[in-house]
Amino acid sequence: MNSNENTNQLANENTGKISFAVGIAGILLCVVGYLKDPEQFIHSYLVAYMFWVTICLGALFFTLMHHLTGAVWSTVLRHILDAIMSTIPLMAILWIPIGFGIHDLYHWSHASAVAHDALLQAKAPYLNTTFFVVRTLIYFIIWSFLSIKLIKLSRSAVTHADLDRMRKVSAIGTVLFALTFSFAMFDWLMSLDPHWYSTIYGVYLFGGAYLNAFVIIVLIVFLLKKSNILDGIVTEEHYQDLGKFMFGFIVFWAYISASQYFLIWYGNIPEETIWYKHRWVGSWKTVSLTLVFVGFVLPFIILMFRSVKRNLTFLTAISLLIFAAHYLDMFWNVMPGVQHHGAHFSWMDISTFLAISGIVFGFIWRSLVNHPIYPSKDPFIQKSIAFKNF
Amino acid sequence: MNILNKKPIRSSDTASVSPGSMYEEVPLITGNQTFSSVTEKICSIVENDPPKMWYVLFGISLSLLLMLVGSVGYLIWEGTGIWGLNNPVGWGWAIVNFVFWVGIGHAGTLISAVLYLFRQKWRTSINRFAEAMTIFAVICALLFPTIHVGRIWVLYWFFPIPNQMEMWPNFRSPLLWDVFAVSIYFTVSLLFWYVGLVPDLATLRDRAKTKARRVLFGILSLGWRGGNRHWRHYELGYLILAGLSTPLVLSVHSVVSTDFATSIIPGWHTTIFPPYFVAGAIFSGFAMVMTLAIIARKAFGMEDFITIGHLEKMAKIIMVTGLMVGYAYSMEFFIAWYSGNEYEKFTFINRAFGNYAWGYWIMVSCNVLIPQFFWSRKMRTNVTVLFILSIFVNIGMWFERFVIIVSSLSRDYIPSSWDYYSPTIWDISVFLGSFGLFFTLFLLFIRFLPMISMTEVKGVLPQADPHHDMYHNSGDK
Amino acid sequence: MNTSDVKIYGAIAEFENPSELLHSAEKMRDAGFKKFECHSPFPIHGMDDAMGLKRSVLGYIVFVFGLLGAAGGFALQTWVHSVAYPLTYAGKPLFSWQAFIIVTFGLMVLAGAISAVMGIFHLSKLPRYWDAIFYSDRFKKFSDDGFFISVESDDPKFNEKGTMDFLESIGGKFVEVIKGA
Repeated sequence: MNSNENTNQLANENTGKISFAVGIAGILLCVVGYLKDPEQFIHSYLVAYMFWVTICLGALFFTLMHHLTGAVWSTVLRHILDAIMSTIPLMAILWIPIGFGIHDLYHWSHASAVAHDALLQAKAPYLNTTFFVVRTLIYFIIWSFLSIKLIKLSRSAVTHADLDRMRKVSAIGTVLFALTFSFAMFDWLMSLDPHWYSTIYGVYLFGGAYLNAFVIIVLIVFLLKKSNILDGIVTEEHYQDLGKFMFGFIVFWAYISASQYFLIWYGNIPEETIWYKHRWVGSWKTVSLTLVFVGFVLPFIILMFRSVKRNLTFLTAISLLIFAAHYLDMFWNVMPGVQHHGAHFSWMDISTFLAISGIVFGFIWRSLVNHPIYPSKDPFIQKSIAFKNF
Repeated sequence: MNILNKKPIRSSDTASVSPGSMYEEVPLITGNQTFSSVTEKICSIVENDPPKMWYVLFGISLSLLLMLVGSVGYLIWEGTGIWGLNNPVGWGWAIVNFVFWVGIGHAGTLISAVLYLFRQKWRTSINRFAEAMTIFAVICALLFPTIHVGRIWVLYWFFPIPNQMEMWPNFRSPLLWDVFAVSIYFTVSLLFWYVGLVPDLATLRDRAKTKARRVLFGILSLGWRGGNRHWRHYELGYLILAGLSTPLVLSVHSVVSTDFATSIIPGWHTTIFPPYFVAGAIFSGFAMVMTLAIIARKAFGMEDFITIGHLEKMAKIIMVTGLMVGYAYSMEFFIAWYSGNEYEKFTFINRAFGNYAWGYWIMVSCNVLIPQFFWSRKMRTNVTVLFILSIFVNIGMWFERFVIIVSSLSRDYIPSSWDYYSPTIWDISVFLGSFGLFFTLFLLFIRFLPMISMTEVKGVLPQADPHHDMYHNSGDK
Repeated sequence: MNTSDVKIYGAIAEFENPSELLHSAEKMRDAGFKKFECHSPFPIHGMDDAMGLKRSVLGYIVFVFGLLGAAGGFALQTWVHSVAYPLTYAGKPLFSWQAFIIVTFGLMVLAGAISAVMGIFHLSKLPRYWDAIFYSDRFKKFSDDGFFISVESDDPKFNEKGTMDFLESIGGKFVEVIKGA
């Protein structure tokens, strides 16, 4: 089977069309929502946006690691990663509503608030609207540059020298990624509560981002396999490795978030504990506990079993669970800032999620359709296909 | 299908790979080794008289060890007052040394466990002595809290043992977590190491020329017969131990970091401490493995087993973890400013420009700047450069702990209680003495036990794979 | 020594390399031998299937002991702080489950690791300092570069002559009978 066949097969599929249709319907609902309650809308939008932007960045990081470590097992998945990463410039466009919603989202953007708050005055050189937008622009320029460059190299790679070139880009890229990602998370999420701070916050969100890069690959592979694409290319050996990495990064995410919670709990300084206090009020307590359960306990236990990791249907089910946990994680990070008495789900959470998911996934799918589905000319592709766990 | 696909790819492969590419297929073990040449080479170190240099080094180490024994004896006799501790700085060199040695003790288990799970076959040449190093480093680490308590005869209070006072240890204290984490880590590392040694001990048993050696190695090797009914449990057990050790090794330094981070002292109480300490531990541990590996391969002519490729891979890990440490430094600095908290801000400005600024800049130069040399492949493959830089990294990591502990304590909340801390001769003698303990144990190890795992090295030779092409070309018999 | 005291324990044959050992093991299995063993200086991939052995049960043992370690650790801490010695430190609640996690985890790993090591040796029937196979001098090579197949004499298919011939027919060299006092 060659890659052109796949493309034709995919082109007959409706997945992309359905995805775009859902996205457009979502956008229409969002417009209604925005007119009704702009504050609710922009918060729901931020949750959905953070959900997807972290996944796309996670895919970028996966690619960087793939090249840096010279991993062979993931070569078959490289073009799927390319497709996910290709939406990073799109994420820059989708950020625009957040730019317009700064006042509704970020307390520090109000001059009147800063005037009465010594802390915000001290932070003003960093937390001010102009610098905030400029920083975001810098992040997206760096990320777009990295992803476009790597996709271009990846799609034309046939020799070892090409792989070496990607590796060089990735070395510098990883350093840039670590810094830009952390500061982006400080800006977009941590500054929602401008008094609060945590040095580990960037690493914490990185844990979720990287984890969900594995998750979305499983979901895409599942959809492709349904159309009998990638048969004999991506095998259960690859599922098992994806599952292992998911298991590993569930633990990593839990370790990092528990470290943050634990040190703040133990230190017991009011200016830090307030963040967790907000997440323990009323029904937030239930949400917090659900997050621990769905995000860690359940997938941790299930993914321990080898047979689950080697079965695509099971693995897809568990991936959906982790996906839901990631959405909840973002919700849990954003919403308690405005919902002081308990969690409150709105229909706009759904419409914003549908809007962004539909559009982003539509573009991911389009990219999959228009390009070879796996790098059949890569010097390591045969080794990658024949990959076996021990 | 497997083999059919492999062949054409292999031959076209090597032609297009430029030298120096990561994708160049370099054999893990060079010198066209056979199974028996591996046995011969590694056993000969243990079975023959060591080079003269060994006696010189052993003499030096033993002298330092005696100095340690004397210093600790005097410490127990006289009390911790002989150290330079003062009122705000109640934790001085002893705790710095503790964290320093625990950190070094991370590389061994990381190499044996984490790299095993990641299918990094190159670990086979270095895991044995890296694990030994881990065990000896943890022994040195455990020494410091033990003597730091002053009245070491009541050490058993650390453990949940019923006693006449009906008192129990405080499980909510990070210091008790340390006791558990480090001693569990020691035990598990020792078990892991021993399990790895058993097949090699059987080799020494079977080669023994004297009755004493035959009996000794006979007892230690438990009657190992290399049967597949051993191997199948052994291999799964090794995998399970690796799976258990991986979270353990990551948790140990996280626990050590909570000694500081659970407190509310500025510069200590920061949420990034657990992963930051782990990265630092791997960083320093690999630097120590590098130092020892370079000495050992030179002294015993092990260039075929510990190749430049091995050293280069370690250099890469040192560089990556060095960058992680640098990331943590910058996040701490940024958040100290961003927090708007006066004490936090002061602490970090004080670190960089205050009374211990010299320590801070030694730390930054050694840990952040020096590993940047490893971006260059030329540097990564030059043994002299690697040796020197690895020592710098170790110096830098000692200073990191010194800066964290001493600079924060000497300038805490109340200026009236500020003081400057300097070590006394006894701080220095105990620290140098701990190197004596470490190297005495290490030299004894390379003298009496195989410092490279013969079993594992044989297992990664191309002819160890029963499906290797060489067996198919000659045709089945 | 009286010849009637000499007992026959089995037979042993040497093979050239891991590949031959693996294929011979398959032939032994197919010929219906049960109590035979393949000795090699390092584990050989695929040997379990070749010999017809099932996957080791060690995983379950470790799982159980790990759980026991964790449960025991958590119970100990809860008991110490709530029952045996209820004293408040640092304003922390008596039942501070957050603070108990670390020691709980540690004891889980400790119990798991000890059971894994004991399990390896127990399941491999080690330590065992006397074994008939050590009567063969040539067998010493196994820990260097020798690959051997041994058959125990109480295998139902064993008979001195037939087994030796069979071992030779599948490519075994230096076939010998293991006998000793």
